[in-house]
Amino acid sequence: MKKALLLIALFAGIVAAQPAPTYAAGDGAVPPEMEWSFRGFNPEWDVEQIFRGYKVATQVCMACHSFKYIKHRDLMKLGFSEEQVASLADEMGLGLDDKLISALTTEAALMSYGTEIPDLSLMNMARPHGADYLHALLVGYEEAPEGVSVPAGKHYNKYFPGHVIAMPKPLTMDGQVEYPEGSKVEPTVDQMAKDVSAFIEWTGEPILVKRKTLGVYVLLYLLIFTILSYMLMKSIWSDVKKK
Amino acid sequence: MKNFINWFDDRLPIFSVIKHSTTEYPAPKNLNYWWNFGSLALICLVTQILTGLFLAMHYKPDAATAFDSIQHIMRDVEWGWLLRYVHMVGAHFFFIVVYIHIFRGLYFGSYKQPREVLWGLGVVILFLMILTAFMGYVLPWGQMSYWGATVITNLLSVIPLVGDNVVVWLWGGYSVGDPTLNRFFALHFLMPFVIVGVVFLHLWALHHKGSNNPKGIDLKKETDWIPFHPYYTIKDTFGLGVYFIFFLGMVFYAPNILGHTDNYIPANPMVTPSHIVPEWYFLPFYAILRAIPSKLIGVVAMVAAILILFALPWLDRSKVRAATFRPIYKQMFWIFLINCFVLGWVGANPPEGMYVLIGRVATVLYFAFFLLLPVVSRFEKTKPVPTSL
Repeated sequence: MKKALLLIALFAGIVAAQPAPTYAAGDGAVPPEMEWSFRGFNPEWDVEQIFRGYKVATQVCMACHSFKYIKHRDLMKLGFSEEQVASLADEMGLGLDDKLISALTTEAALMSYGTEIPDLSLMNMARPHGADYLHALLVGYEEAPEGVSVPAGKHYNKYFPGHVIAMPKPLTMDGQVEYPEGSKVEPTVDQMAKDVSAFIEWTGEPILVKRKTLGVYVLLYLLIFTILSYMLMKSIWSDVKKK
Repeated sequence: MKNFINWFDDRLPIFSVIKHSTTEYPAPKNLNYWWNFGSLALICLVTQILTGLFLAMHYKPDAATAFDSIQHIMRDVEWGWLLRYVHMVGAHFFFIVVYIHIFRGLYFGSYKQPREVLWGLGVVILFLMILTAFMGYVLPWGQMSYWGATVITNLLSVIPLVGDNVVVWLWGGYSVGDPTLNRFFALHFLMPFVIVGVVFLHLWALHHKGSNNPKGIDLKKETDWIPFHPYYTIKDTFGLGVYFIFFLGMVFYAPNILGHTDNYIPANPMVTPSHIVPEWYFLPFYAILRAIPSKLIGVVAMVAAILILFALPWLDRSKVRAATFRPIYKQMFWIFLINCFVLGWVGANPPEGMYVLIGRVATVLYFAFFLLLPVVSRFEKTKPVPTSL
C-alpha cells in the first residue's frame, strides 16, 4: 500500500511538474496572479467586463490585430440580443456574421512594425499564465534598465519574453476608451488591460464556463456510478474466500 | 430463441467464444488493483478511436486550414469541444495507463515464461502507440506540432548513406509541410486499427496462458481461480468509474494543462520556438537521445531503450516472478522507476549545465537495469515462494 501511494505520488508529480514552462535567461517576468470570474470551479463570464473589454478590443487592439474566430453573432451567446449585437456590428460597418478582422493588412504591418501581427482570438490560450500574462504585458511597459539597448522602433516590456517587443504601448492613458454608461469602473489603463484580457479569455475559449459547469454534473454522476459499482463489487465478491 | 442460438453457434461459434472468454475464463482470485490497468488501456483505445473518428469528420488535413479547422471543431461543431478535449486528454491518460500497466508487469514478473510472447506483443503496442501519438500531435498544426515533427523526423537523417533521402521521402518535400501533414493524418487514422489487431493477439496470448498474479506463482489448486465474469468484469467496472473521475475531471477542469501553450500558435516555419519540447510521455526517451553527444548513437540508444524491452524475458534468468520475493530485483525496480522520472525531468529541461550530466547518469542507469539483470538474477537469493494462494 505504501508503495502504491508512492507510485501515485510519483505520477502526480510528473503531472504537476509538467505545466511549469522552462524559463531561460531573458524570459519575461512571472506575471502577478489576478482575480478572474472565469477561474476556479464555479466560474462565470462577467458579461459587463467582457463588454468593456470588447470596447477596448475593437477601439484599440483592432487598429492592428484581428479576432478572426469571432463574429458579432457570437456575443449573443453571452446574452446580448440580436438587435444589440446588430447595432454594435453596424457601428463598425460590419454584418452580424463578419469576422472581426483588422483593417491593417499584413504588408502594411510588415512595413510599420517589421513583423507579422498575431491574431488575438487565442492569445490567452497560447501563452503561459493566460489572462494574467496579457494584463501584465499591457501594463508592463517601462523604461529599459540601464545597459539594456532597445533597437529603434522596438519597446521594452518586462513581461515579454526577451523584453523587447515590437508592439508600442497600446493603452497609454486613462479614459482612452469611453466605457458604456453606468459602468461600475473607470477606464484606467489597468482596468482596460484587465477588461480586454477577460474579453480575450472569452474569445479564446467561449465554452470555458459551459465546460466547467457541465463538469460538476458529470463528476457527480460518476461518483454515484462508482459508489454503486463498488457496492455491487463487494456483494459479488462476498462469496470469494480470501485464502 | 435458444434453438436459433444453438443453430447459429454450431455454424459460427461466436456465443461459445464469448462464454469461453468470460464466464468460463478462469482468473486468479488474488489480482490486485494494478491489474485493472489492462482493461483500462482497452477502454482508452476504444475512446480514442471513437472520438478520433468523429473528429476526422470535421478536421481538415491541409496546412492552410488544419489549425482553423480545430477552432471550427471547438466553436461550431456541436459538442466538438468535448470530442476534442476527450481525445487530447485521452492521449495523455492512455500513456499514463499503459505505463502503469507496463510497470505492473515489470514488478510482478508478468514478462516471464510462459508469457514472453504476450509481453513482446505489449512492447509492439507501445511502439505503435508512440508512432500514433507522435503523428496525432502534428495534426493541430501549431508551432509545437510543426517543430516537434521537424526535430523528430530529422532524426532519420542519421541512417547511413540514405538518411537524407529517407527524410525527404517521409516529408514529401524539403521540409515538413502540407504533404507531411496529409500523410500523417492518413497514418494516424490507420495506426489505431493496427493497434487493435495487435491488442487482439495480446489478448489471445493472455487467454491462452492466463493471467499472472501478485504472487507470481503458477496456480495449481482449482480454488485459486474464479471466473473472469462476473468477478473481474465488476471489478473493472469499479476501476473504470474511479479512472473516469480523474480522466473527465481533467477534461472538464484542466484540459490544456498537460499541453504546451505554443501549440495554440499556428505553425510558422519562419519562427523557431525557444524550447522545442515533446509531450511528457516522450520525455524519458528524448532525454536518452540528447544524453549522447553523437546524433547517430543517440538515435540508436533511444530506439534501443524500447527494443531492449523485448529481450527482458531472456535477460532476467530468475525463476521467481514477483519482485515481492526478490530482494535485489525489487530495489532495482524502484531505482529504475524513479530513474524514468528523472529522465523525464531532464528531457523537459534544456540540454545545458547540470541537466547534461544528470541525463547521462540516468541514461547509463536505464540500460544498467537491463544489462545487470542476467548477472543479478543468477546470484540473487530469493525468498521462499508460496506454492498456492
